[in-house]
Amino acid sequence: MKKIVGIADMGIAQGQNEGLITYSLGSCIGVAIYDPVALVGGLLHYMLPESQIDPQKAQKNPYMFADTGIPLLFKEAYRYGAVKNRIVVKVAGGAQILDESGFFNIGKRNYMALRKILWRNNVLIKAEDVGGQVSRTIRLDMETGKVWLKYSGEGEREL
Amino acid sequence: MNLVETIIESAQQLPPFPAVIQRALTLINDPKSSVSAVVETIQYDQAITANVLRICNSPFYGLRQPVSSLQEAVMLIGFDPLLEIVLGSVAGSSLGESIPGYDLEAGELWKHSISSALLSQIISQRLQWAQDHMIFTAALIHDIGKVMLNTYVKDQLLTIKELVKTKKMSFLAAEKEVLGIDHAELSALISEHWNFPKEIVQAIRYHHTPLLAPTDKEVVYLIYLSNLVAMLTGIGGGADGLSYPGYDEVMYHFKLEEKDVEKFMAQLGEQIQKVEALIQLQKPEENS
Repeated sequence: MKKIVGIADMGIAQGQNEGLITYSLGSCIGVAIYDPVALVGGLLHYMLPESQIDPQKAQKNPYMFADTGIPLLFKEAYRYGAVKNRIVVKVAGGAQILDESGFFNIGKRNYMALRKILWRNNVLIKAEDVGGQVSRTIRLDMETGKVWLKYSGEGEREL
Repeated sequence: MNLVETIIESAQQLPPFPAVIQRALTLINDPKSSVSAVVETIQYDQAITANVLRICNSPFYGLRQPVSSLQEAVMLIGFDPLLEIVLGSVAGSSLGESIPGYDLEAGELWKHSISSALLSQIISQRLQWAQDHMIFTAALIHDIGKVMLNTYVKDQLLTIKELVKTKKMSFLAAEKEVLGIDHAELSALISEHWNFPKEIVQAIRYHHTPLLAPTDKEVVYLIYLSNLVAMLTGIGGGADGLSYPGYDEVMYHFKLEEKDVEKFMAQLGEQIQKVEALIQLQKPEENS
């Protein structure tokens, strides 16, 4: 059984049965976290870097933004017994359109926001696959803690 | 007959766009329409009527007494959800099918189409344009050509993707190079075949190449931007991904800034969840 995490959404899983998956990451970013001891996993699919562009929406749905969603993802995992220094972080998404100008490079801004937040909190990224023009799907296997990455139109591989 | 002629001929054999939906969209998009005018239009469509009643009586609305007349139901839920229900009934048509050539599962192109249509409203509002069902419809059907091009793209996907990778071509240009026709052109031909007005056909034809449009630039640019923001959001992102060009000129033309693109995405994010909830309600048998 896999739990689907939608756009601007977050999911937490505990135990070995239930996996988490999120589809079609464009310029959005998927953040998968996993604590191999507590067997707690989390998956966030955020759309935008900063909540200040629409604080009202951030209040209603904090998972829409990196700066409100990422801290909540970790907090929720802690609630289920995850411990910060055991958590493994893997990241995918942040795609771009062609002829990137400042106007449309949300993917890059999303990635910069993530780096800033994790760096500030002394959290390292174990693996990542970001940028390019591809649409991505990522899946967190709760039995192994492995994260599987799929480009649209191609096969699945481990991230 | 060569490949392009074969593709165009099969496009011309498509069944017509459901008239009741076109009429209903026009009415619902006009805030001056009366409830009874809307009811009169949709009552002849059994699927829409059944869905309106079912959704109105679902736990989502928490009614104590079930509603049995369409008139009552429409008054209760209002025009906004009604729009989504009417659109939901198109989901059963070709736009709702799976499109393996573009690696889109059933419903994914449909979500992309609805998102683009919602974005056309969101962006129109920001630009202070009057709501226009013509624009909404253009945004909704701009990718219909993908449905027809599907099998041909599927056969040639590796060649097309190779061109995108090695020659840095857009997916559209690669389609044209390999197949002799691209999905935007084909969508335009289909909308012509459906007798849509010239502005719609134009906006669809140039939805990836807005700067080439000889006329109707305003509408073309709006549809271009609506589709672009839906792609950035990742809704209905398939094998073509984000391999399409971004044009600053469109943003300058509308005097929009970076932050506006983010705001459009945030607004869409809020609405698409609502749409997805309703799509789920309409297909209770598929819940797993």
